[in-house]
Amino acid sequence: MKKLKNIKLIALSLMAIFTMNSCSDLEIEATDSVIKGALIFEGVANPAEALSGLYGQTWGMLGDQANFFALNEVTTDEQVIPTRGSDWGDNGLWRSLHAHTWKIDHGFLLTTWNQLNEKVLKATEIIDPLSNASSQQVAEAKFLRAFNMYFVLDMWGQAPFRNATDGASVTPSVFSASEAYDFIINDLNDAIAGLPNIGPSSETKGASKAAANFLKAKVILNSERYTGSEPNYNEVISAVDAVESAGFGLQAGYFDLFLPSVDTETVLYGEIGIGNRIWNGMHYNIVSPDNGGGGWNGFSTLAEFYDLFEGDANQNYVGSGQEERRGFVPDASNADPNTNYGIGYGFLIGQQYDANGNALSDRAGNPLNFTRDFDLQNSSETQAIRVIKYHPYDGSGSASFRAHEIILRFADAHLMRAEAMLRGGGGSATAEVNELRALRGASPLSSVSLDDMIDERGRELYVEFFRRNDLLRFDQFTKNWEFKDPASVGDTTRNLFPIPLDALISNPNLVQNPGY
Amino acid sequence: MKQSLFKHPLFLIALLVSSVSFGQAIKGTVSDANGGLPGVNITIAGTTSGALSDFDGNYVIEASEGDVLVFSYVGYQTEERTVGSEMVINVTMSEDLTALDEVVVIGYGSTTVKDATGAVAAVRSEDFNQGVISSPEQLIQGKTAGVQISNTSGQPGAGINIRIRGTNSVRSNNNPLFVVDGIPLSGGSTVAGGDVPGVGGNPAKNPLNFLNPNDIESISILKDASATAIYGSRGANGVVIITTKNGRSRDGEFTYQFNVSSSKPRETYNLLSSKKFLSERTRLGLDNSADYGSSTDWQDVIFRTAASHNQNVSYSKSHDTGSYLASVGFGNQLGVVENSNMERISARLNVNQRFLDDKLKISLQGTYSRINDQLAPIAGSAGFRGDLLGAAYSANPTWPNRAGFDETGGLLNPANLLAYSSGRANTNRYLASLSAEYDISDDLRGKVSVGIDQSDSDNYSVSSKNLNSTGSVTGNGRGSYNNLEVENELLEATLNYNKTFGDSKLEALVGFSYQSFRNSGINSSAWGFGTDDMDQMGDDMKSIVNNIANQIPGSFQQFGYAPNLSGVYVNRLFPDVAQEFISPSGSIGAIKSLAVDSYDNTTELQSYFARVNYSYKNKYLLTATVRADGSSSFSKDNRYGYFPSGAIAWKLSEEDFLSDSNVSTLKLRVSAGITGNQEGVGYGNYVRRERWGGLGISDSGEIFLNSGVGAVAFAEPNLKWESTVQYGAGLDFGFNDDRLSGSIDVYSKETQDLLFLINTAQPAVNPTQFKNLEDSKIVNKGVEFGLAYDLVQSEDFNWSASFNVAYNDNMVESLTGEYLSANVNGPGLTGATAQKLQEGYPLFSYFVRVFDGYNADGTPIITEDPQFVGKSALPTVTGGFSTNLSYKRWTMSAYLSGQFGHYVYNNTANAFFTAGAFNTSRNVLPETLTSGEGLGASAEASTRFLEKGDFVRLQNLSFSYNLPLSGKGTFKSMVLSLTGQNLLLFTNYSGLDPEVSSSTGGSLPSIGMDYGAYPNPTTITFGINAKF
Repeated sequence: MKKLKNIKLIALSLMAIFTMNSCSDLEIEATDSVIKGALIFEGVANPAEALSGLYGQTWGMLGDQANFFALNEVTTDEQVIPTRGSDWGDNGLWRSLHAHTWKIDHGFLLTTWNQLNEKVLKATEIIDPLSNASSQQVAEAKFLRAFNMYFVLDMWGQAPFRNATDGASVTPSVFSASEAYDFIINDLNDAIAGLPNIGPSSETKGASKAAANFLKAKVILNSERYTGSEPNYNEVISAVDAVESAGFGLQAGYFDLFLPSVDTETVLYGEIGIGNRIWNGMHYNIVSPDNGGGGWNGFSTLAEFYDLFEGDANQNYVGSGQEERRGFVPDASNADPNTNYGIGYGFLIGQQYDANGNALSDRAGNPLNFTRDFDLQNSSETQAIRVIKYHPYDGSGSASFRAHEIILRFADAHLMRAEAMLRGGGGSATAEVNELRALRGASPLSSVSLDDMIDERGRELYVEFFRRNDLLRFDQFTKNWEFKDPASVGDTTRNLFPIPLDALISNPNLVQNPGY
Repeated sequence: MKQSLFKHPLFLIALLVSSVSFGQAIKGTVSDANGGLPGVNITIAGTTSGALSDFDGNYVIEASEGDVLVFSYVGYQTEERTVGSEMVINVTMSEDLTALDEVVVIGYGSTTVKDATGAVAAVRSEDFNQGVISSPEQLIQGKTAGVQISNTSGQPGAGINIRIRGTNSVRSNNNPLFVVDGIPLSGGSTVAGGDVPGVGGNPAKNPLNFLNPNDIESISILKDASATAIYGSRGANGVVIITTKNGRSRDGEFTYQFNVSSSKPRETYNLLSSKKFLSERTRLGLDNSADYGSSTDWQDVIFRTAASHNQNVSYSKSHDTGSYLASVGFGNQLGVVENSNMERISARLNVNQRFLDDKLKISLQGTYSRINDQLAPIAGSAGFRGDLLGAAYSANPTWPNRAGFDETGGLLNPANLLAYSSGRANTNRYLASLSAEYDISDDLRGKVSVGIDQSDSDNYSVSSKNLNSTGSVTGNGRGSYNNLEVENELLEATLNYNKTFGDSKLEALVGFSYQSFRNSGINSSAWGFGTDDMDQMGDDMKSIVNNIANQIPGSFQQFGYAPNLSGVYVNRLFPDVAQEFISPSGSIGAIKSLAVDSYDNTTELQSYFARVNYSYKNKYLLTATVRADGSSSFSKDNRYGYFPSGAIAWKLSEEDFLSDSNVSTLKLRVSAGITGNQEGVGYGNYVRRERWGGLGISDSGEIFLNSGVGAVAFAEPNLKWESTVQYGAGLDFGFNDDRLSGSIDVYSKETQDLLFLINTAQPAVNPTQFKNLEDSKIVNKGVEFGLAYDLVQSEDFNWSASFNVAYNDNMVESLTGEYLSANVNGPGLTGATAQKLQEGYPLFSYFVRVFDGYNADGTPIITEDPQFVGKSALPTVTGGFSTNLSYKRWTMSAYLSGQFGHYVYNNTANAFFTAGAFNTSRNVLPETLTSGEGLGASAEASTRFLEKGDFVRLQNLSFSYNLPLSGKGTFKSMVLSLTGQNLLLFTNYSGLDPEVSSSTGGSLPSIGMDYGAYPNPTTITFGINAKF
């Protein structure tokens, strides 16, 4: 029996060894991701690629028709998405923006809040000395941080901040509007110092001294809303002058500016697919060779906005007296598969045509005739005027969904300078405005008031996502327009968006804006 | 740390050493009605000496006069014989018909229902559901109280929802832990997902499809904490233990099963015919230029009557020292929607062999399966154009049934989608477990097991350039090729101590378990195909991806190319983050743009556990379990969770005061315990990790290399186990030798420290992160009741019936924050949701606007804001009724199931069956146009589409005939059967079927959403089961 006992002993000890040997420390292994420092931030894995990602995500945010774009355009008189039968109802998502009846749980608010703030932290991580980024990379990150934080400030009036070395369990501090303003200006000054000088070229998709000066002009021009004191208009003028001295200036040929080719107006562009900008307003039966599926028949504009332009109030065909920026609708005589696919430029009203000049119908077979009038809640497929600034025809005949969206355009800076002059910076605002109007083939104005200024900005910069910002500066965001809820007219609490509920819960340092 | 499972061959060798036997012999033969019975356990009462009968039923045992021999065998009544002067004792065993004596496989052991202290249930193969069974859980659907099994759709091999005692977690995985032959499966999918261009992601497949249902011997369900605690961290949602068959036949026996079936959709929508479509348009003053002159029933185009077949051959044999079983199966199940089917080839080998006078037992259970899925373009997350089903419901009936027809005004032509989209998934899977069990002494047994679960799956989803109306797909073609490799390894060691002293019986178990789960693979998308042959498109993607991957030196995360790039980019993470361009040899010209991303990560679990079962006088039973679980998903300080449980049971029927009554069973059980959950948290969510951002191909085929490298997870060292505290009590009863038997259980489960994907406080690297929600509590309380009665027991005629019902009440008792979930999809429904998670309401509570008819213009009158409407998608009552009738050689069985108290959101109607949809030339139901809704009305998500989901279904009706064979010919037995599944449905739900759950997307998993769900078919099956 002794032998048996030994065997048992061996079996037992072997089992014990077996068990002990197989113990794992359960430490995570970096097999498909970089884990630096495990729990605490020890710098980004690669500053150049982190920066590339930050650019890409910022452009991605701007290319979307929903979220950021919708909050800055559909909340204004420039864009409206009427509900068309079962289309575009979306539980009032779009109507509430235009009517100024959005609520705290509006889905775009949380997404945009997350998108902007996420980029602020990613920039902070690159800027952190632990990341060992080059001085130019730091300057680019500061520009992008200023850009993203600026919109947090502009839309919510406060901005949360987190240090790169804080983990998820640290509650971020919150900058007041004036603190955030100072922080942004600081970043922009640092960025201007560290960024390269880039003139008009295909390189303007990266941040440059000119882009930072442009943004600085914009932030200062709007600063009264953040600091309560009058902006230093001379600083706005000198910042725009700095943009100009980098080689940027106005250029003729309005719709050519939105092509991917180099021009002197594009201070900053993003590599963003522009399909959303093309198709969100086009009818299903408006097609181009690369998009047989047609448009999505949503985004439209108010007749009152359309009427800001010179030209016939009820049509926009070639020769109906319209100014260049209002565009035109090709008809049977000028629809052409080689220049426009039958799709118009600018504002589309009246009967629409295909590439061969045949009149188009809607899905039920009625003429596809866009009308001035519509109903916010209950429109037909064909009602309301559509807007198209980027065009599927880009001259190459192939890549209609080119990825080139303008983010900062010199005409905006030019008008900011004129406005700064008008508001007290000295110089002739009227001359500045007429310089632009002459280039666009519009008749000169004898003098320019603030109302003329905001209208001129609308005519030049429509659907380029600064309309909300502009209206706020001119105290017109709360004015009445068609389909705005009467209770919201004059309601200044609408000037800021509510902090989304999930954000409030996640950070007790945030204070809900008044009125929500 | 990676484990090599066969690192210690010495151990196995050490166990292969002989021991010594002794004594003087009593001989005999043990038999049953059919002859000698092998494998009967013969022990001498009060000792641990024992023997087993050989393949002829013969046995030899050392015993002295006066010893009592105990003959026991699973499924037979135990016999006792006292040794007298004679040296030969022959025993005839009789089958034990008492259901409650069934053996239940519990974690790391087995017990009988009579001796179980926890809430456990077992269903054996003879009680399994019949018909077309594509995966194991369908075998036991409705058989057990408190176990709710729902198909997510009628697609062959579709995913399942199994809820044992309610829904505990708010993450995706509320399914129980599946343990197959001792191997706990990973909760993840093994089938590579795909994305049908222009439609959406493939719905999840059932993780159990790889198992051939014919191979299964029994399925045990562990419901309460005392039973599941041995699986600790992974038992919070209950445990389903699947045991496959072993060789049983002494003479060797072939079993051949064959069935052939025919399925069709149980119901289709009563859509407007083309004639009615046009007359209604005229009546409503709409232009009839939408008349394209044809008359097409689009449901006819996409639905079909599908024939399926399934064949299985197995050979099983037992002998002196072991047994084996081998089986092969082949089946092809065709879906009732065109282009959907599942083909399965499977093989199994189970071997048990005893060595060293039966002291060492080696077991091998191995299976291989190959599953080929064909996937129709159907997705619960389909956008405003819908998927194949949505297209068929809404397509203009005057369109011709022609794939090339493209005058659809941007809507989908079902014939076009069917012809020019293709989805295929091919999955190979191996699952093998090998164990060695050794009787170290009479009381002590050691066991070591290793298990491997390996799968390799490819998914090809393509749409050719001929697909109309889908942006950049048309004219170019788009596709995805994804590969998923899963490699799970298991190592377990247990020591088992059994001792009887006096009236006490002690059983103790200690063990160690290590399991690793590795997922690796690639996801790729492609644009611009040279061919419109869809099989060729798939092959092109695979060969180009593999060709380039093989030429990349070193490791990579991503690679790809596009017309706007010069060369093939390679994005690396190791040794350093870098982007390079290479020029691989070989042609890549068949595809214009390709973007490939890869992943490879491993999570690990390591556990130590112990269990004690103690019984006194076979009346008082006690079980205590503790398990320590470590997970690599948590940081060092929170890595281990400790999960204790205990249960006591009192067998009142063994007490003297009941001994003379007709109470045959009466047992009271009480249990309490804590189980953990970390499923769904996944790899490395507690550390800051960085990866290359995802790269997409633009609509014009470009790739912009600006996704960069950024954090995919934020440092969160405080992540820890979610835990569920459970209390339960139960009473098992039986009268008249258990002719009437049943059980009643009550329970309460409280899940706390919910692991939840919350919104991170911004600024943050990700919009959401996992966090344990402090003060969170989800409570499930319920009652389960089961009753079985043998109505008639006679020689020729038997009739039995059983019934089970369960009530579960779910409540989110405390939770910080409010979370909208369950997206409502379709035209005009972007951003709409139907449910909300908030404290004070059950999970999956509906939160929508309240509908109150139409105003004079036909505009729906709805409340301005959505609100809780006091309705939830979770059934409160689930039940099943089954009955068996047998007369001589004929058997009939029927099974009805029902769910009650829940509501279904009819997203299909919301998306497609509105007057506004008709106005935009989509087809609708006749009643849509008489509802009072105006043609221009927008259809917001509202209570208008919320309907009671109560139903009773005749799930299964089966007749079988056992042919009278002499037993002397080739065939030992032959049973013919005819089975109908899903024959009748009683419900007031207006959609096709209330038992649906489309995964419509959202911040939380959705249930109760019916969005163009794949219809549950009605199936008639003819089957032959022959033994020879």
